Amino acid sequence: MSGHGAAVAPPVGATRRGPFPRRATRSTGEQQRRFVLLLLTPALLGMLVFFVYPLVATVFFSFTRFDLVSAPQWIGLRNYRYFLHEDPSVWQSVRNTLWLTAVMVPSRIVFGLVCAGIVTSVKRGAGVLRTLFYLPALAPPVAATVAFVFLFNPATGPVNQVLSWVGIDGPLWFNDPSWAKPGLAVLGLWTVGDVMIIFAAALLDVPRDQYEAASLDGANAWQRFRYVTVPNIAPVLFFAVITGVIAMLKYFTEAVVAAQVASGRANHGEGTATTLGYPSGSTLTFAQWLYQEGFTNFYLGYTSALSVIMFAVAVGFIAVLLLRSRAFVHGGAA
Amino acid sequence: MTTALTVPRVATATEPPRRRNRVALSWVATHAVGIALGLMFLLPFVFIVLTAFMSTNQALTAELWPRSWHPGNFAEVFRKAPLFTYLGNSLLYAGLATLFMLMSSVPAAYALSRFDFRWRNGLFLAVIAMMVLPPQVTQVPIYLMWAKLGLTGTLWPLILPNLLGDAFSIFLLRQFLLTIPEDYADAARIDGCGEWAVMTRIVLPMAKPALAATAMFLFFVSWNDYYGPLLYTSENAAHWTVSLGLAQFRTNHAVQWNLTMAATVLMMLPVIVLFFFAQKAFVQGVTLTGVKG
Amino acid sequence: MTLRSTRRAVSGLAGLAAFALLTAGCSNGSDSSDQAAALPSGPATGTVEFWHFFTDREAKAFQSVVDDFQASHPDIKVVVKAGQDDTKATQAISAGKGPDLDLSYSTDITGKFCSSGAFRDLSGYLKRDKVDLGQLPQTVKDYTEYQGKRCAMPLLSDTYGLYYNKTLLAEAGYTAPPKTMTELAEMAKKLTKRNPDGSIKVAGFVPSNGFYENAPAHYAPSYGAKWLNSDGSSAIGSDPAWRSLLQWEKDLTDWYGADKLAKFTAGAGQEFSADNDFETGRIAMAMDGEYRTAFIASEHPELKYGTAPFPTADDKTDLYGAGYVTGNIIGISKGAKNPNAAWELLKYLTTDTGALVKLGNGIKNIPTTLPALHSPDLTVDANYKTFVDVFADPHSDTTPASPNGGQYQNTFQDFVIKWQNGKVPDLSAGLAEVDQQINAAFKLGQAP
Repeated sequence: MSGHGAAVAPPVGATRRGPFPRRATRSTGEQQRRFVLLLLTPALLGMLVFFVYPLVATVFFSFTRFDLVSAPQWIGLRNYRYFLHEDPSVWQSVRNTLWLTAVMVPSRIVFGLVCAGIVTSVKRGAGVLRTLFYLPALAPPVAATVAFVFLFNPATGPVNQVLSWVGIDGPLWFNDPSWAKPGLAVLGLWTVGDVMIIFAAALLDVPRDQYEAASLDGANAWQRFRYVTVPNIAPVLFFAVITGVIAMLKYFTEAVVAAQVASGRANHGEGTATTLGYPSGSTLTFAQWLYQEGFTNFYLGYTSALSVIMFAVAVGFIAVLLLRSRAFVHGGAA
Repeated sequence: MTTALTVPRVATATEPPRRRNRVALSWVATHAVGIALGLMFLLPFVFIVLTAFMSTNQALTAELWPRSWHPGNFAEVFRKAPLFTYLGNSLLYAGLATLFMLMSSVPAAYALSRFDFRWRNGLFLAVIAMMVLPPQVTQVPIYLMWAKLGLTGTLWPLILPNLLGDAFSIFLLRQFLLTIPEDYADAARIDGCGEWAVMTRIVLPMAKPALAATAMFLFFVSWNDYYGPLLYTSENAAHWTVSLGLAQFRTNHAVQWNLTMAATVLMMLPVIVLFFFAQKAFVQGVTLTGVKG
Repeated sequence: MTLRSTRRAVSGLAGLAAFALLTAGCSNGSDSSDQAAALPSGPATGTVEFWHFFTDREAKAFQSVVDDFQASHPDIKVVVKAGQDDTKATQAISAGKGPDLDLSYSTDITGKFCSSGAFRDLSGYLKRDKVDLGQLPQTVKDYTEYQGKRCAMPLLSDTYGLYYNKTLLAEAGYTAPPKTMTELAEMAKKLTKRNPDGSIKVAGFVPSNGFYENAPAHYAPSYGAKWLNSDGSSAIGSDPAWRSLLQWEKDLTDWYGADKLAKFTAGAGQEFSADNDFETGRIAMAMDGEYRTAFIASEHPELKYGTAPFPTADDKTDLYGAGYVTGNIIGISKGAKNPNAAWELLKYLTTDTGALVKLGNGIKNIPTTLPALHSPDLTVDANYKTFVDVFADPHSDTTPASPNGGQYQNTFQDFVIKWQNGKVPDLSAGLAEVDQQINAAFKLGQAP
């Protein structure tokens, strides 16, 4: 357990309510229970209105034919059957989304940790460095993606030019179906600032004396990282994994813009449909297909079914993760 | 500022030269990597800024360096778009959202992290599940609801829900709060503090960096939120935020990409400045509270 | 969970479901059928809210026409909201907060908006005011109505044809543009220049679908290819014209080398920048719309180019002069607060020759009535004239309206791209599968 600092004096003005028996677990006297309920009330209300209600509505719509302008009509399982058997694009979008999730979540976490480590260990210029690392995450995603794709233009962009100096014949990046998703992964690394910031905060929270104790015990740098740092930042790591997975399941804007720019339509407002998933559907994500079917093709019932499926899969996965990683859920230093 | 991954070791004159070199080398390596990464992160911004100075015909061509410099582009953006209105609206939205979030989400995160009760895990799963559905899906019934309340055309449908908690912030805060040991709170309870005092005077002050990081997160997410303002305020230009104004600018000046990039630069400047100062304060908060232990 | 709390939870959920149903149902208001019967009473005065998607310079042209309208109709005040797209309009209309008048970018929503009543039936107004629909060419009449219901009027159009670089053609010994697809392929091969390493330096004609304006829809009128049968099912697999087009595209792609073509298009300039490959001479001939003339005039006035109707299939030379036509549509939304006044503005915008000519000149799109088309005030130069003629040509065609917003075009284009890249071993089977997919998608949206 962490070391003890000076004893904490009760704050001025605290009322004396008699001695509280110290409990091993934090469970619940009547007073504490009421306190907890009070704390949770706004969030519970919010959950009801902004989560349960739309979720129930979505489940309902998934069994209907609904085009937003006429009343929904019940059609039973037809939407789900179409998803399983007849939709030509949805499975490609599922594969693309899974690929992006499997690649981008771990790479962003590792890279974010490395950057946070650098930023918390340089002394001079840390503020500037932190701002630089966070900058891409601050940029409007559209402008940032456009700039990024331009730099990666296979014929005219500096990336391939630099690669040619070292003798590498650069790939077609966002114009090649096999390289478009890796290109998006690199874009994800460039915007790692938001993950880096919370890792930096977590790293700063690690008690310094634990490092000193470990050093005294003869631990080297890697062992210090594995046995001191990781357990202390475990809850934040868990957060990064979960939110990373959720964000990748909903991945939309960057893929859309990258396809637009790569196919030559960076500044044409309309016509996004013709660039969906360019090249050859390799950048088509589940969220894009969901949006297209719902709001361009007017199949809101089908879109609701797709959302229900995605929701069930994601929540199932997260529930499994929660059950199997007690350390991450209950905190390493409890 | 203390290090995180390694304990800092200053080479002293009495140390053998080999060890001194090794320490110096790691210092150079860390800084070199940091500088290299920093430059790579900067490159696309250089592109954005350079494009902002180009002529209309040169913007979006393959050339990266302006043939002629047009600083007047920035003035033209000011003339063509009510930037201060957008900034004001973005500030209102992001600021109020963050404030409301702190009021509603901090208690919830505290409850979820520091107490054990029967429904805790189920509730926690529900919080996470809230983040799963894509906004485009939940928006259909919610938009209809706001339309009936007559609040479409304003930013309130985006600000008010934060009074009832923000799932992402609750999750993040909860994880941070888990890392704060219970010892101080227990000691305070033994000394007779009520739960409210324990929360507000013992635990939360120790969580200042976490609070700051979460607040910053939501602030910048709200600042960059495009989809929300698009849905609720696009028919009412007086309420447009920076992100929407920029997108509209892009549509309106589809061929004048140099102006769009100039607008992007202008609209990012306040945020960059804000971040630079905010993150300094958040770091200072850490050293002032003296960390734990 | 106790029994009591379980029951409470279930009833709570049921209540929510009911609320959802109620709010969804409440969004729809009156049925579309009773609008056709009687026109709304009341004078044509008051405020009209008008949504369109135009931008900056083009929005200004619109505003000046709207100002003319207000000058001649002092009882009506028009509030214009620019930059509104179809998704926004659909949501607003369904929530009952739609505008009085909405101008949509493309014809894809006609099917949906007409069949669901999102746009009102205009037949009552048209009959009352004796509007002559004969002044509209058949194609634009087709894309503003669905299954006999007319819920929209056309407002400005785009037409497509062939652009060719006169300098490059002269260098290769050509003085006239190609008129058939075989000629196009021959000339494209002759006009292509290669780098020493075999990669393409200048392309005669790029056949890759999805690149710039290459889409099956744009080629269809030159082949007389049909999209849908009369019963609404997909005709792609059964119409031999499509097969002929696809074969032509694949042959030319193979001649270039699919991967060499991919490399070439990867390095192409943005379509709507001054870097456009045709404008810089990197491509000798291209399929494009009439708006390209305005871009060239502003970005590359030194370019020596010509325009012509797109070449036809070898066995369909009688179709020469036809081209793909599409355009904007405008309608009165279901929840319009002031439909009578909105109709006045709609009628003015879509049938007043002066207004149409002003818009046509200001936005450089084709005005959609024949009188406006032939008006001497319309600025037409030699290159622009091609597109004016294509618009009026009786064989010109558009993509048929459908209830799912034009998804069938995307399904087919995805297939054609696969085919051009050599990923389809059996063309007939592949086309039959496309038919199946398109029909299944149509069925998905049908009423039970």
